[in-house]
Amino acid sequence: MDAIAEKKPVAFNRWLPYWAVFQADVRQTLRSWVYLFWVLLSVLATVGYLLYRFGSYHEGGIVQTASVHVSQLLRWIVLGSAAIVCVLTAGSITSERGTMADSVLSRGISRYQYFLGKWHARLATVLGTFLTLGIATLISALFLLHEDLSLDGSLVALAVVAALLTTVITFGVTVSAVANSTVLGIAVLWSMLCAAGFLMSFLPPRYPSPDRTLERLPYILQGNYDLAGLAQFAGWSLLASGVAALFGLGYFSRRDV
Amino acid sequence: MAENSSSNMVVETFKLTKIYQNRQIALNDVTLRLEPGCVLGLLGSNGAGKTTLLRLIIGLHRPTAGWAKVFGKFMTPNAAELRRRIGYIPTNPQFPRGMTPITYLDYMARLFGLPKDVRKPRLASLIRAVDLLRVSGDSIAGFSNGMTARLAVAASLINEPDLLIWDEPTHGLDPEARRSMLELIKTLSREKTLIVSSHNLSDIDEVCNHAAVLSHGQLIYCGSLQDLKGRMRRNHFELDLEGEQKAITKSTTAIRALPEFKVVTLKHRRLELYLQEEVGGAAALANVLMTLNDNKVTLVSIRSVGQQTEQAFLDLVEKEESRGFARIYQAEAA
Repeated sequence: MDAIAEKKPVAFNRWLPYWAVFQADVRQTLRSWVYLFWVLLSVLATVGYLLYRFGSYHEGGIVQTASVHVSQLLRWIVLGSAAIVCVLTAGSITSERGTMADSVLSRGISRYQYFLGKWHARLATVLGTFLTLGIATLISALFLLHEDLSLDGSLVALAVVAALLTTVITFGVTVSAVANSTVLGIAVLWSMLCAAGFLMSFLPPRYPSPDRTLERLPYILQGNYDLAGLAQFAGWSLLASGVAALFGLGYFSRRDV
Repeated sequence: MAENSSSNMVVETFKLTKIYQNRQIALNDVTLRLEPGCVLGLLGSNGAGKTTLLRLIIGLHRPTAGWAKVFGKFMTPNAAELRRRIGYIPTNPQFPRGMTPITYLDYMARLFGLPKDVRKPRLASLIRAVDLLRVSGDSIAGFSNGMTARLAVAASLINEPDLLIWDEPTHGLDPEARRSMLELIKTLSREKTLIVSSHNLSDIDEVCNHAAVLSHGQLIYCGSLQDLKGRMRRNHFELDLEGEQKAITKSTTAIRALPEFKVVTLKHRRLELYLQEEVGGAAALANVLMTLNDNKVTLVSIRSVGQQTEQAFLDLVEKEESRGFARIYQAEAA
């Protein structure tokens, strides 16, 4: 009892800081009004649209194919809510700069871990929400509309849209790590996405572009797709994400906060 | 500040310079060395570069030129292993929304990579120590300045650091909380190295044994607090007298005639003396005491006027300002 307890060296967990930032950011995003607004808007729009088509199908006797309407809903989630996803991602790091960064980045965490934690948290939150909404939409459409969906086509369609969203999210977090203010970050990201979408629409047909891929969603959902072409599109999206993330990581690890 | 070899230094900076976006020179050529056990008081007016220096030392900013070493290794934004040994309190600590003291300290401890079996008992002890036990489940958003400061102290100690960097820890605190903070600094200084920045010179005077003075981004003094006080021009004295009013008035007239004094004023029975520049205080005061003795006036007390550290700080800044272009040669002179 009287023996003096020797101070044991603490075995630090190297990846705990990354995990802490990841968890804190997921929790913070799920509680933010932008996220809640996005989810509410998406759910209301999806439910309203599906019920309207369901009414036309059953009461008016007009055939409403699930593939067309689900693809439209998925396109809306990508394009219609892109602005909200921009706000959600472009403010991820800028909103915590200054005094808030003092209380996090002055601890035993490297900039790399902080950036990766933020990036992965936003990816998990936005993609998780999108996939949940997408699967719920697919299941609802199966019961409410004229069933012409294929299981593998539905999964491929979700994967393709998820790849596109991954690029938007990664560019958002990267812009957030580079920009000095959230408003500037959102403006830059939105301009970049619009410009990229516009320029890519001029690509020759043999190259995959977001607008052409989204236009083909009804066929993909029916199971009529070119897997190699879609894999190439997803590959390019993920490569662009990787390059953007590396740039963001490198820049953020060397800048003042 | 220290003669030890550089590897033993807790903090060492060399020609540390920070220029923000080629627009503002926040820090200019700061070289200092801090040995273990030092309690360094960082002094300077608003915009002098105190916070910039601290942020460079902790790796939140990257130097434009020069370097900062902590525990003998270069500090960079990715030097997480160095920051594990540092406890930092920013000027106005802010906390993530929706957290309680328990969740916040747990988050901070995880940012240091502390495993569960270490961080949980430690955060419980700290919450008790900083007297936040009753509000440990409440949201931080509703906390007063004092409670926020106590939580910031707990967060800075959660990793049991060897070096504490506290940026204006008494800022915005009421007298009671300020007193507690100063007592805590004194206690911690027995086993840790501290850098405390403050506007309040009496705080520095009370808890620090070394001082560094920044003026417009330049380090104009770095050394022991005693040496800083020793540099002070002691040219203002107050003497409380006792005796007949006629004798006191006569003595005052005689003292006014002495060439060593610039201003001599008598208010009731208190004699205020301002020495001429470059005049030895001891000799001048000896003449005053002899004059008083000759007139049978009793001396009740004698004191040097002005808070010593404050006066020394003001003297340093004033001297630096008055050097004009000669400031260019400061480094060479040093």
